[in-house]
Order: sequence, then C-alpha cells, then structure tokens
Amino acid sequence: MLLPRLCAPTRAAFAASRNPHTTSSISNTALEAIRCSNAAPATTILSFVRHATHQSEGRANGPKDGPGKRLGAKKTGEQYVIPGNIIFRQRGTLWFPGENCDIGRDHTIFATQPGYVKYYKDPLKHPKRQYIGVVFERHQTLPVPPNAARRRRLGMLAVKREDIEEAREDAVGDLVEGANSGEGMVRETPREDKVPQVVKTGNKELVMRPGYMYREANWQIGRAAEKKGVKVNKFDRGDRFTAWRKRNARKERNAESRRLRTKKK
Amino acid sequence: MCHLRAASPTPSFEEHADIQAGRETASDMFYLSATPQEAQVQQSASPAPSSPPPHISIRALRSEEKRLGKKGVPIVGSRRRRAALKTSSQIPFEQLPYQCFQEARKILQADREEKIHQIEVQRARIARLEAQDAAVSGGELYKKNRLDSMRRHLEELKILADINDPLIKKRFEDGLGNMNRPIYRYLADRKWRQYKRLILDQRITQHNIVPDVLPNMDPVADVDVAFSQRIVQPGDVVESRRTEKPPTLRVQVFDKGERLVTVAVIDSDVPNVEKDAFDFRCHFLACNVPLSPVTPSMPLGTMPKENVVLPWQPPFAQKGAPWQRMSVFILQQREGKIVDVAAVKENTERHGFVLRSFVDRHLLKPVGVGLFRSKWDEWTEGVMKRADIEGADIEFKRKKIEPLPYKKKDGARYR
Repeated sequence: MLLPRLCAPTRAAFAASRNPHTTSSISNTALEAIRCSNAAPATTILSFVRHATHQSEGRANGPKDGPGKRLGAKKTGEQYVIPGNIIFRQRGTLWFPGENCDIGRDHTIFATQPGYVKYYKDPLKHPKRQYIGVVFERHQTLPVPPNAARRRRLGMLAVKREDIEEAREDAVGDLVEGANSGEGMVRETPREDKVPQVVKTGNKELVMRPGYMYREANWQIGRAAEKKGVKVNKFDRGDRFTAWRKRNARKERNAESRRLRTKKK
Repeated sequence: MCHLRAASPTPSFEEHADIQAGRETASDMFYLSATPQEAQVQQSASPAPSSPPPHISIRALRSEEKRLGKKGVPIVGSRRRRAALKTSSQIPFEQLPYQCFQEARKILQADREEKIHQIEVQRARIARLEAQDAAVSGGELYKKNRLDSMRRHLEELKILADINDPLIKKRFEDGLGNMNRPIYRYLADRKWRQYKRLILDQRITQHNIVPDVLPNMDPVADVDVAFSQRIVQPGDVVESRRTEKPPTLRVQVFDKGERLVTVAVIDSDVPNVEKDAFDFRCHFLACNVPLSPVTPSMPLGTMPKENVVLPWQPPFAQKGAPWQRMSVFILQQREGKIVDVAAVKENTERHGFVLRSFVDRHLLKPVGVGLFRSKWDEWTEGVMKRADIEGADIEFKRKKIEPLPYKKKDGARYR
C-alpha cells in the first residue's frame, strides 16, 4: 500500500539522471570527437542477413511425383458391363452418372444395370456436363429424346409359386378314413399295416424307421429344442453387434479347425 | 376430407344472370343462410344449437355426419366451425354493433357497385365490336384478338366484383359455393393450386407418369379417386381388396360449360417376361362422359353402358413383381366431337393399350390425373380368382446376372 508513495522520490531521482541535456550530452560529443580524430580507415562490414520467407523443409516441399492413383476409364464406350462394374475412376466429377449408372463416394462411376457403356453429353439436362450411361442394347443411343417413355428392364423370371396350398393328400394322416373320397372320418385306431413297432427306452419311444433303425420320429427331433425350452432370439437384421460376435465366433471356429487339420498332417 | 363434396343444390344459374343474382344474395347479410331451405339444412346439421353438449366423442360425430350424408344433407364447414356456430350469437351482418366494420362494409359495397358498372360498360363495348364490320375494326385477326382480350378482362371484372364479399367467402369455405358462378370457380381453383396441385405435380414427376404414359401434361382439373367413399392420396399404395370395386371419381373443372371427356385407367408396369420389359394395360375406358363444374361426381361402376368401352378390371400385381402405378386420366374431347364407342370397342384390347397413340388418334387433351399404386398382398389372390384373372400362381424372381469371365493376369509380371 505504501510502496508507490515511498518509491516516488527514487523515481524522480532516476528520471533526472536519464535526462540527456544534463549529464550524457557532454560525454557523447567527446566520444565523437575522439572518433573523428582517429584517422585510421574505417572497416565497414556489411552484415546483411537474408532470412528465409518460405519453409524449405517439411511436408509441403516433399516429393512432387507420388505414386499414380490409377485413375481414368476402366471401360471403354460400348463395352459390356454388369451391375457394380466400375466404369470410370476420377478425382471430382469429370464425368457424371447418366442412365443406369451411379456415382460412388469418391466420384467413381459404376453401372447399375447390365448393358453397354455410352459416353455422351445431354445439353437439355445440363449444357456443360458429360455423362456416362449404360444402354440395354448395343445399337441404342444416348441421350434419349425428351418426353420419350423410359427404357426399362424387368430383370425377373416368372416361376411357379411355392407357397400355394394345394390339395394336400400327404397331409391326411393314417387315422383318417376315406381321405380320397373326401368324407374325412377319423378312426379309433390306426390302420394295421401302419401300426409302428415301438421300443421304449427310458422316457423315449423309439419307432422303427425306414432304414431299419429305431429312433425318434423326425418331428420329435425337430421339437427337441422346444421341449428343452431353448430360447432362440429372433433374428434382427439391424443388430450389428450380435452379427459381429457371431462372425468372430465363426472365424475363431474355422481357424481352430484349420489348426487341428495342420496338426494332423 | 373423407367425404365427397356433394353437388350444389341449385345448379341452374345462367352465366349472364350471375351478377344480378349475386347482388340479391349479397343483400341477405345473415350469418347463417337466409333462405328457409338452407336454414333448415343448417339446423339439421347442428341438431341442438341451444345447448351444446360438453363432450362428444369423435365416433359419435362421425356417425352423425355419415347419417346426414346418407340423407343427402350437405355438411357445412368443418367440425370446429360447426361447433363455433352453435355457441355464437347469430346476429346478421348489418346489425353488428361495430362502427368500423359497418364503414368498411360500405366501402366494399361501393367498390362492388363500381365494378358492376364497369362490367356493364365492358359488355356494351364487346357487343359494339362484335356488331362492327371486320374491315372497319382492322382486320379479322385483329378483331378476334381484341374480342378475346376484352372477354378476358370481363371475366376478371366479374371476379373482382365478388372477391371481397364476406358472404361469398363464407359460402365457399362451407362448401356451398355454386360452381356455375365464376367467383366460386376462381376460389376453388386458387385453393386447389395452393396445395393439392403441387402435391399432384410432385407425384407425377416422382413416379415418372409424364414421360412413361403421356409425353406431357398440365393438370387443370382437380381429380379425387375414392374407393368406397375414401379418397386416396395421389400415389398411395392401395390394398387390392379395396380396389376390387370400381372407384368413384370427383372431377372438379374450373372453367365454365359442359364438355365430354374420356376416362382411362392405365397400369404402366405390367411385367412382360419374353420382352424382359414392361407393358401397359387398360383397366377401364369410357368415352363421351359429360362433365361440368357442377357435376363433379363420376362413379365408374354405374356408368351408362353406351359410354363404357372396357369395364372395370381390378388392379393386381403378381407376387414378387414391382408395385404397379395405376393412373386415372381425364381426357377432354374436342368440342362437339363424339368418340365412336362401338368402333373403339372393336379395336381396343386391355393388354398393350398405349394411351399416347389413343390420345393422338382421338385428339384428346389430358386435363386431369389421379394416381394410386397396387402391390401383391394377402387379398390379391382372391381378387384375381373372383375376377377370373389368370396368373395368381406365378411368382416373379430376380434373374441372376452372369458375372463377367475373370481374366487371370500373368503372375510373372507382378513378381
């Protein structure tokens, strides 16, 4: 608190000592006089340093000639392509995707339909852009005239439906009498020629199956998990974590079996 | 929006008497309609105006509306507006005790008088020019152009005379506008263009209806497609059981006069395996259907037989096939030109029906379009069976595209 007030006289004394008119002016002129009287030739050394304005080292001035990126056309005009084939690799959009083509994240042009590659311009769509398209037949040309119906491909096959419920004869069990006549009476006991030979082992009933073996029926085997109360989570397409775990487990298994195989050898 | 708007009860207005009639109706400045018939309608639409029940379920309201609709009573305004009407003190406009409001009304009325005077003057001018010899008025073409522009101006004046009338606005918003009068047509057109037409335009472009089915089109009529009383939004996928019965169209045109139209329903995505492409199919075709601004309703199921070329076939998409775009076209015929239905019937087939060439052959002008889509669903099989359509047992599967042969590179080059 008291410091500024205490320091005030000292500051005044210091200021007085720095005044050039009072003390140092005399000494300065004296020194100059001595310099002038000294007639020795003055050696004037020009110490001229030019500092760098650009960095000469580092990343920016590295090798100019890097590895080529293998850009350019991968398919020529009229060449046959299938969906996913890369037609052109580029930096930026030198070419734009036209009919039946698309553009990737790094501006790669690729085909979305099987067909023949066409390089073309479409001034009605854009006056300056150049496009790559795919046509279905080789003789077809691009661009298509405006307001013409689009060329479209079905790309499908007609097959018989699998899920049709037909007149199911095989579904009629051996307890049903007159299945073909359509009456559908249920018998008290199964038909004699269909009476199975059963062997009981533990709590299981083993039946003589075709192939001359006693075993559970297929439907019983199929229901084993249900009986045991095994809970299977429903497949969820979006559950990537489970997918990842399963994939890794499968890879592990495969690697393990491979290892075993090599050991055997 | 789920009800088709009923046609106006008094359709027979003459065009030139419109303004006169309008002046008379403008004088009845009751908030509710003054004519006894309309008042009765109002009362039946709002059954208990004195004591509004505190809470009514939506279901009860809907069933009440349905009941009235079946009776043929037009439902006025929105539910909110009807509820507001019930509680409001229904004082006529002239007796409202707001001085500024009354002064404003006076200004509007004076403006209307002025516009009506201008209309009379314009009509006299048109009559004079029509009577004049073409050589005097500067040639046949000049006279025609001049008359056209004068008539256009006359139409503008008719709209300007009525556009500021609060009663007209109210009647239009209640859905009671008489579509014979230009002002109501103008308001309806404006309302359609503000929202519904924009949506329709977007759907036409998105679904490529325009290059695929017709080369170009400029919709000028509002088309609603309704299956069993329910309007389908343009481009919606509709269940096949709903589309089994023919739809009812509501085609609102906004220009005066009666005209004949052709109605066509086209499926533009019929799979053709041999060609590995898509075909067209016509699901309905009718010619010479009369249409005017006051008769918008067009039930396809009950059309007279002499108009129908191809009766309704329910739309269907086979299993696995991509969804099929169904487009309903309203094609205006040339004035006074009647399509020979018998001749068309002879050389028209459902499969492979190309609308472009049909339009060109009969000089039709597309004025309106409605869209919906159909897809294979659990009811399609039954629908196809009932309509005797084959092909329900077929399923479409994607064709495998053979990969290109892999060219093995010379290994030595890479060592």
